[in-house]
Amino acid sequence: MTAALFKDRPRIDARDKVRGTTTYAADFQFPGLLYAMMVPSPIAKGTMTEISTAAAMRVPGVVRILTPADFPPALPPLEFPAQMALPTLEIQIAYRGQPVALVVAESLEAAIEAAELIHPTFSTDSFAAMMDSPGAVLQKSEDVKAGDAVPALARASTTLEAEYVSPTQHHNPMEVFSTTAIWADGRLTIYEGTQSSGAIKAVIARVLRLDPANVDVKSAYVGGGFGQKGGVQRQTAIVAYAAMLIGRPVKLVMPRGQVFHVATFRPKSTHKIKLGADAAGKMIAVQYDAAQQQSRDGQFRPEYHVAPSRLYGIENYLGTAADIRIDTQPPGFMRAPCEHPGCFAFESAVDELAYKLDRDPVAFRMANDTRTDPQNGRPLSSRYLNECLSQGAERFGWARRTPAPQSMTAPDGTQIGWGVASGTYQTMVHPTIASLRINADGSTYFAISGHEFGQGIRTAIAAVLVDGLQIEPNKLNIVIGDTTAAPQHLTAGSWGTFSVVPTAAKAVDQMRAAVSKLLEGRQIAGNLHRQLAAVKRPFLQVEVSQLGPGQTPAAFDALRRGDFAIAGPAFPEFTTMSYIAHFVEVRIEPRTRRIRVPRVVSIADCGRVIAPRTAASQVRGGVVWALGAALREGTEVDPRYGGFLNNDLADYVLPVNADIGEIDVGFIDQPDPLANSMGLKSLGEVSMVGAAAAITNAIFHATGKRLRELPIRIEQLL
Amino acid sequence: MQSFSYLRPTTSAEAVTAFAGAGEGARFIAGGTNLYDLMKLNIEKPGHLIDITAIKGLDRIETDGDRLRFEALALMSTVAEDPVVLRDYPVLAEALAKAASQQLRNMATVGGNLLQRTRCMYFRNGSGSSSNVGVYPCNKREPGSGCAAIGGLDRGQAVFGTSDACTAVSPGDWPVALVAMDAKIEVLGPGGTREVPISELYRLPGDTPHLEFTLEPGEMITAISVPKTAAGIHSTYHKIRDRESYAFALASAAVALEMEGDRIRKAHVALGGVATKPWRSTEAEKMLTGQKLTQEMALAAGKAAFQGATPGRQNVFKVELGARTLADALLIAAERKRS
Amino acid sequence: MTLHPHITLNRRDALKAGGAAVAALSFVENADMPANAAPPALPVIPANAVTVNTTINGESLAFDIDVRTSLLDLLRERLALTGAKKGCDHGQCGACTVHIDGKRVASCLTLAAKIEGHKVLTIEGLTEGDAIHPMQQAFIDHDALQCGFCTPGQIMAAVACVKEGHATSKEQIREYMSGNICRCGAYVGIVAAIEDANAKMGKS
Repeated sequence: MTAALFKDRPRIDARDKVRGTTTYAADFQFPGLLYAMMVPSPIAKGTMTEISTAAAMRVPGVVRILTPADFPPALPPLEFPAQMALPTLEIQIAYRGQPVALVVAESLEAAIEAAELIHPTFSTDSFAAMMDSPGAVLQKSEDVKAGDAVPALARASTTLEAEYVSPTQHHNPMEVFSTTAIWADGRLTIYEGTQSSGAIKAVIARVLRLDPANVDVKSAYVGGGFGQKGGVQRQTAIVAYAAMLIGRPVKLVMPRGQVFHVATFRPKSTHKIKLGADAAGKMIAVQYDAAQQQSRDGQFRPEYHVAPSRLYGIENYLGTAADIRIDTQPPGFMRAPCEHPGCFAFESAVDELAYKLDRDPVAFRMANDTRTDPQNGRPLSSRYLNECLSQGAERFGWARRTPAPQSMTAPDGTQIGWGVASGTYQTMVHPTIASLRINADGSTYFAISGHEFGQGIRTAIAAVLVDGLQIEPNKLNIVIGDTTAAPQHLTAGSWGTFSVVPTAAKAVDQMRAAVSKLLEGRQIAGNLHRQLAAVKRPFLQVEVSQLGPGQTPAAFDALRRGDFAIAGPAFPEFTTMSYIAHFVEVRIEPRTRRIRVPRVVSIADCGRVIAPRTAASQVRGGVVWALGAALREGTEVDPRYGGFLNNDLADYVLPVNADIGEIDVGFIDQPDPLANSMGLKSLGEVSMVGAAAAITNAIFHATGKRLRELPIRIEQLL
Repeated sequence: MQSFSYLRPTTSAEAVTAFAGAGEGARFIAGGTNLYDLMKLNIEKPGHLIDITAIKGLDRIETDGDRLRFEALALMSTVAEDPVVLRDYPVLAEALAKAASQQLRNMATVGGNLLQRTRCMYFRNGSGSSSNVGVYPCNKREPGSGCAAIGGLDRGQAVFGTSDACTAVSPGDWPVALVAMDAKIEVLGPGGTREVPISELYRLPGDTPHLEFTLEPGEMITAISVPKTAAGIHSTYHKIRDRESYAFALASAAVALEMEGDRIRKAHVALGGVATKPWRSTEAEKMLTGQKLTQEMALAAGKAAFQGATPGRQNVFKVELGARTLADALLIAAERKRS
Repeated sequence: MTLHPHITLNRRDALKAGGAAVAALSFVENADMPANAAPPALPVIPANAVTVNTTINGESLAFDIDVRTSLLDLLRERLALTGAKKGCDHGQCGACTVHIDGKRVASCLTLAAKIEGHKVLTIEGLTEGDAIHPMQQAFIDHDALQCGFCTPGQIMAAVACVKEGHATSKEQIREYMSGNICRCGAYVGIVAAIEDANAKMGKS
């Protein structure tokens, strides 16, 4: 492995993206295409007793309307740990917005008109819309323990106890859910923006009773995922079945208001934290009780302790977690799923404790470093959190900060606050299978497991291939997100690039070996394409696959059947985490109390940086996400009705350009020596982790007010 | 969305005739940023659309003489950058520039914007549209069905002009500025033309919240006129929202001050984001008359303006925020000089 | 007086009109596009039809549309101009931004019937042959995008922002680009790209 830095290069697919020629799922054109529109349930819980489609069928252009009566009874779900049962259309209503019918028409206008004419009748049941509603059911999960926290807290010389709340939030990628399904010659082809084309193939085949070998899923470009497109989407099987019944291609682009009601979301979570330090100011114990909003049968686990328990060298940790089950659609993974709320809470508590101890928040964090994973005692494969903190402090100008709250008020009364927080995110790996083919005609083809949703996975792959092989970079075709090209894994949890880059590097090594074997010592001028041409070989191909540390070949079987098979962050010999430190300046208006964030400095330890430009964009994006999570976003429920009230982009307040100031990003760029051959670690998720706490810590510094519930809105500082 | 007939008259007179001929369910449409949106939400269901944007010469801006006159089809983005408006009436320019986005301001007209309907989430959700998954009752959308906002999530609701039937906020910025500046609108209808003070265009919800405007069926707004005043120089439209741009007001204030030395001879004050119609604050205007503007006076005027507020549960903060927004607006306006 | 009451078309006319419109437009170049792809000729239900004469990316076109159709759906579903994206369908995100008569608008809230007699420019029309627009190059240079879904709308808005004279400072760019939401959070790059392109567009 060479430790040389990768050079800055443009995003490989940027040229297509700026010309609008990148094809997302809803952009494909097919002859005879029909348009679908879903009819959502207006009730929150109950049974559909009657559905009349007569009026809707009379709308000119309507071809067919699917109702629960069209679907065979569901088969038991696959035994995949990650895949829930995928319902189709059902008469039992579990949440408001659940699809009850699908209209298919010759035009979108006709489909919409007809869908709005369908008004089923229901018998309604009482429902629990909120975590504190009657009927909510608490279900505890396993504790996370290290050392013995309770007695350690009792002997701590200084303790801090506080409760924090993170709200329900929705991913809202700009691309809404959309599915185009084509049924031809006994094959089903699905075009969909997904992070998980392999799982869709498996699950849709199961639901529609097809041989998975006859189902192809294509998701070459995803218009933003953030976890929302990690599961099998609610509409996919329904749209696919419509295409099979009618025998023409069917496209559904789901209105955003409906997406709010069928997509997963970040559940509301509560975080009670007790934190203790000894007389020397070292943190010695944590007791942390987390609970989250959950659907009746949801499986998104409340793993709020993965990051906080590994952020510092705290020996005693007792973490409890619970689901509060209510009547909603299932929540799920949303960027830095548990790590963002967990580190918002935990890094707020650490800041509060630092103030209590009269310690500088940066120095206090640095004094609680660790070289081992406190959860299992194994060494950390690499950890440069203190370097992130010290470099960030330097760039930000932290030394000029006066520690007392409200001490940096400007002459016009604007309150200025500087805050810091750390973040960590696990590094996980998924097995990958790839093929690399170099053609004498100048082109190169590389197919691998993985999906591109803007994180830059293609650019990272290209960096490895182009730096490692003498190939024509402009004729490099990287095929991902396509079940016909390679087995596709769920691309999420920051394991995408981490998993594919070492495999690409392995393909480079094997290709070099294959070339040298082919040439048998002959020296031929020119790039590999010319060399192949010179020896009259049309192409040279290698197949490679790779497992994570400690994984067995059974993981390949899982990959091939669309299951997920991740390893990490606790590998057999070591634990691998990525780290980040965020420094934030807030400015708060004297009277109307608007909170502005003019500048942020974020320094990340993600191991070796493969694609510096897209990596920096990832971190900026994570910071923008944290600003949204801390100061803007919350999905609101009227408990009398269930569902989500602010289900559009006017009322669900995402950050806009005017909300964002300067974001200065730096990388430690030191290779991890153990996690993989290329020295990289995870990045996309850690970018966001801790940044919300850095914002709220800065607000405390500016105002003296500790705000523990997100999102912070103007009224909380009036 | 149901279908409709679509007509494109080229004169105002033809438009009025077309409306009369179209019968039930006819609506004029200009930029369509609100009406077409509400059609997609299944809230507006016109049987006939009479598109008035092909009418020639109904988009002039006149700044000579003793008044500013904006014809109805002038775009929001155009009026926002008119040199005279920018220089002498910042309150008008800012009210337009802080509304929506440049894309929408390039579509929406200054006449059509006066008729923008509320953004109350309970109003916009609940019509059985494909776009939104709502079931909420709303007296404005369906008279007699009830108001879900009262007793519901009311953070965004009005604190002035509410009734037991409706607390929905009048969403506009431009109308607030025009109310502050004593604008009048010119209306053309089957009975000819008439001129109406803009404040009389808007109705309070009372027990008929579905009736929002005083226009008669078939009447269209053809122009807006604003009397010229020296107060225009010392003016601003200050808007506080949940993000820095592209959002509706939580609280806003349109302020113009006629100054005599360092004293206020006459104050124009109207409030947005807090009331069921653009809200003139005579209380604040009275208190400011003849006064020197200090920070204390500005805040006192803000408090006076919100004395009679009747907030619900989650929107209590609007009383304090609104007062402070007005105070900041007054301080900004007083600092303004002709550039 | 040019009123267009209900226009009665038979289905064949409608299809023919649609086909003619499409034939006049060049296809979006894309390797992934199936070779046999032909844009669907949407059937126009006679009672809802309206005739539109317009210019799109420099091509004069005439066709019949369902009167309810948005400009966005017309571009995407009828004309295979899929650069403009549907992110909200309610004027709340900017992903559908195109120019009408040189002004940026939200095509999702524009009735397609309204482009009668007007000139529409989409992202597909911004590029002349292989030479990309300076704004497009600046977006590449500053990595002003991630997933790319909002990018065509951002670029159409950005070109207009410069032409309007609203790109004179970072602050002004941020304000006048706030009608285009980027969920990936590429705002810092977008502002840098527009500052860069502003200088270059001014010179050319």
